[in-house]
Amino acid sequence: MSAFYISDETVNAPAAGGVGVLAAGGEIDYAASPLLHEHIARHIKAGTRHLIIDLSGATFIDSTAIGVLVGAVGSLREACGGTLAVVCVHENVLKIFEISGLQAAIAMYRTREEAMSALALVA
Amino acid sequence: MKAQAVTDAQRSPPSSELCLPAECSQLAAARTFARQSAAAYGLDGDDCYEFAYAVNEAVTNAIRHGLPDERGFIRVTITAEADRLTCAVRDWGTFTAPAEDPAASFDAAAEHGRGLALMRILMDEVRLHTSSGGTTVYLSKVRC
Repeated sequence: MSAFYISDETVNAPAAGGVGVLAAGGEIDYAASPLLHEHIARHIKAGTRHLIIDLSGATFIDSTAIGVLVGAVGSLREACGGTLAVVCVHENVLKIFEISGLQAAIAMYRTREEAMSALALVA
Repeated sequence: MKAQAVTDAQRSPPSSELCLPAECSQLAAARTFARQSAAAYGLDGDDCYEFAYAVNEAVTNAIRHGLPDERGFIRVTITAEADRLTCAVRDWGTFTAPAEDPAASFDAAAEHGRGLALMRILMDEVRLHTSSGGTTVYLSKVRC
């Protein structure tokens, strides 16, 4: 069985800076990626401008979920000139991001605090 | 429907087969089957992960773009040879492969099309066989 979880930890109104955090973990495969997409879309609709997706608990991420993350970069930019930051620590997941060339498309951080600090400079 | 695993110790080289319903809820079973087969063959932790990762991508492709057999199954067969472990993922559709060159089909900003490119990077050999009867992707890891 693959375990997958996702939770919206903060959804701030645009007036509050529009920073949102989404935590997703476990094994994020083709069965899970539609849910990831749905939660990202909900954040954008709610006014999130800068989204942090915390994948600290993710042990596996497939190509369809990577596609969802790449799509989110474009959606945030088009919706409000926003940005996406991804937090990732699992070595196997980092390796997949690396060979996918994803660092060129998405800002990656080791901790949520690092991502928040970087966002404070952007926001 | 449940996945059906068959191990045929009489055949040479030894192979194990998993018949999976063509549903995305079955991907975890495919990964477990691949990871356990790779570990039993003696691949190290990184190679086991990469083997299971590539198998997951091939099964995902079969579910998304292929066709199951008349019972709704796709077939995952893992064969252990002296120098390599090979997984064949078979469906009954006719898949058209994108560009052969991984670099040419690898765009960091693209939302789709990473699966086959990732398989090619993670495995020592990837072969695609398409006929009117279906599509089989062969994924091999060489034993060091």
